[in-house]
Amino acid sequence: MDFTLTDEQVMLRDTAHALLTRHCPMSLVRAHVDDPAVADVLWEHLCEWVVLGDGPLTDLCLFLEECGAVLALEPFLATAALALPLARAAGVDLADALAAGESSATVAIAGADGEWRANDEKTKTFVLEADRVDYILAVDGDGRVSVLSGHAVRNRPVGSIDTTRRIFEVDASSARASDTTRPVDVDRWLRRATVALAAEMIGTTRWLLAAAIDYAKQRVQFDVPIGSFQAIQHKLADCSLDLERARSAVYYAAMCVDADDAEQHRAAHVAKAAAGRAAMHCAKESMQVHGGIGYTWEHDLHLYIRRAYASEHLLGTAGWHHDRIADLILG
Amino acid sequence: MKLEWSAEDEAFRTELIQFLDEYAPPEIKVGRDFSDGGVDEVGGDEVIPKWGRDWQATLFDHGWMVPSYPPELGGRNATPVQTLIFMEELAKRRIVRSLHFPGYAIAAPSLLEFGNDEQRKLAGPSIRGDLIWCIGMSEPNAGSDLASLSTRAERDGDRFIVNGQKVWTSYSMVAAKCFCYVRTTPLDQAPKHKGITVLIIDMDTPGIEVRPIKHITGAEDFAEVFFTDVEVPVDNVVGAIDDGWRITMGSLAHERGGLWLQSVAMVQQTVDDLCAMARRLGLDADAGVRRRLAEAYEQVASLRALGYKGFSSFAQGSSAPEHSYLKLATSELGKALYELGMQLQGPYGAVSDPERGEQRGRWARSFFVSFANTVAGGSSEIQRNIIATRILGLPRQ
Repeated sequence: MDFTLTDEQVMLRDTAHALLTRHCPMSLVRAHVDDPAVADVLWEHLCEWVVLGDGPLTDLCLFLEECGAVLALEPFLATAALALPLARAAGVDLADALAAGESSATVAIAGADGEWRANDEKTKTFVLEADRVDYILAVDGDGRVSVLSGHAVRNRPVGSIDTTRRIFEVDASSARASDTTRPVDVDRWLRRATVALAAEMIGTTRWLLAAAIDYAKQRVQFDVPIGSFQAIQHKLADCSLDLERARSAVYYAAMCVDADDAEQHRAAHVAKAAAGRAAMHCAKESMQVHGGIGYTWEHDLHLYIRRAYASEHLLGTAGWHHDRIADLILG
Repeated sequence: MKLEWSAEDEAFRTELIQFLDEYAPPEIKVGRDFSDGGVDEVGGDEVIPKWGRDWQATLFDHGWMVPSYPPELGGRNATPVQTLIFMEELAKRRIVRSLHFPGYAIAAPSLLEFGNDEQRKLAGPSIRGDLIWCIGMSEPNAGSDLASLSTRAERDGDRFIVNGQKVWTSYSMVAAKCFCYVRTTPLDQAPKHKGITVLIIDMDTPGIEVRPIKHITGAEDFAEVFFTDVEVPVDNVVGAIDDGWRITMGSLAHERGGLWLQSVAMVQQTVDDLCAMARRLGLDADAGVRRRLAEAYEQVASLRALGYKGFSSFAQGSSAPEHSYLKLATSELGKALYELGMQLQGPYGAVSDPERGEQRGRWARSFFVSFANTVAGGSSEIQRNIIATRILGLPRQ
């Protein structure tokens, strides 16, 4: 049992941080609202890191935490955390092209109820970045995968509070039974994806809290920085506690998955629930501490709050994961 | 980052479990909830029951009292990871090491770090529990603001004359020595943190009066301690005169890594107990109850992960701010869980009849005892202050 990062992991995290802060500035994230094509520039830098999706989940999580801190744009998460592991599990050739950064892809699995589980519905929901990826991996009710050309699939963009991550409904009826793969262990794949998303959320939450702390140090009222008031300090201390325990829960879950430990089921649900609760807590308190300025379109805060809440609702809300935990501890 | 335990660590665990199976006294195996330290429940009329003292000595003699210490101090030079295993295995079995924490957890490590050669010799008996300590910290006007303490020690040749009062002094009615924080430079002559000194005071010195305080559960395990012209040799100063504040910081940090991890494990047991009670009461199919128990499980599991992380940095020799997080979170969560235990029982939640309701009224009793946990050892508000200023870097008021 060791939570400390290896030298290689420290280097990975630092590299990711430098790369992402440089190539995913807020100006890009904002430009992307009106023109999703601007994300191509970022993808050129991120595609070579998709291969992390083949390796230990802890490493992918370290990278994704940095992605979340800058609101990195798709298709990185969709390709590295969703499509590549699914393609590997299904044993399709596309996996090599994805790992090499030559193609991008996303996954279509959820049905009308929005839950990510194998089903036979033809219209798939909550498909990330469906109009801009090379391939869409559609999963059927038996967990078999069809590889569809992204451009050939009809899609409908679905409005979301999150302007930084686009979601779609896609028509997967062109998937033919004869083209499907062997069934994959959807639960195993989903567990990995859930922890990966939780790691990205940690990065976003980290920014939300850091922004509030910075602002509390600068903003002067009653002749002192508002961060010197206990009312503000205790709010932020509680946020920090939630963030730190969520972060620990995420990396613990990643280690459990990497070790194929028996506790990985519970740990993954705990990770996403804790990450979601920390994200919502820090989002609200960060907004409160920022006061009026946080309420403006001009301030970046709302972009992070949008991502935080969209991620909370993707791959299971905290409440959904609590219900799964209840199933595991109470039967 | 890795999850696996090494072969040496697994061997350590096996040896520990064998020892516990063979030596742990029956009194400790009755499934009591020790996380609340309810002495009334543990010892009956005795402040520290004999079986508890014998158990501590047995642990010491077998090198299992503080595993990270060398054998002469009741340990076996265990690694931090092994200490983690030790804490978890004990908590799993609800086994506590000692029924009086001040000696092994505060006085001994402080003496080892700050004491002179003579004082360091006291560490062994303190850890074994042969020498019982109380810690003279809180005063009527110095609680969270500990540095305002005003019990004064005036130099008179080769001795100090001590006058003043301590309060909430645990085990002072049975302690042989007091690890006492006194003011040696008056408040008007130095900043309040600068004039504090630690003295070792023999509790049988003339001029010391101990008045037990009955606490909320009816037990009397802490007291007021009055000092009237108490003579203490200058040789009994620990560390340097006027440098005692450093020891408060040190003594609070000692053992903390392990202790808070232990408290996380205890809260984990409480969640397990809640689940078992929910099943007994037929509430395990109730959606609301299921959600609340799952939330509790998530909170404990994320804290445990945070404890592991803190322990890992502790093991690497870096300071671990996780301690403040864990102190804050486990004490608050514990209180909430006992309250939930009462809630699950509906009308019987407030019944304390040994023959009615669940577990002899354990949930309500533990809830009452748990009020102390968010106050003692640095209140939740102080922990939040520490997190805000020392970890988040927010400006002091």
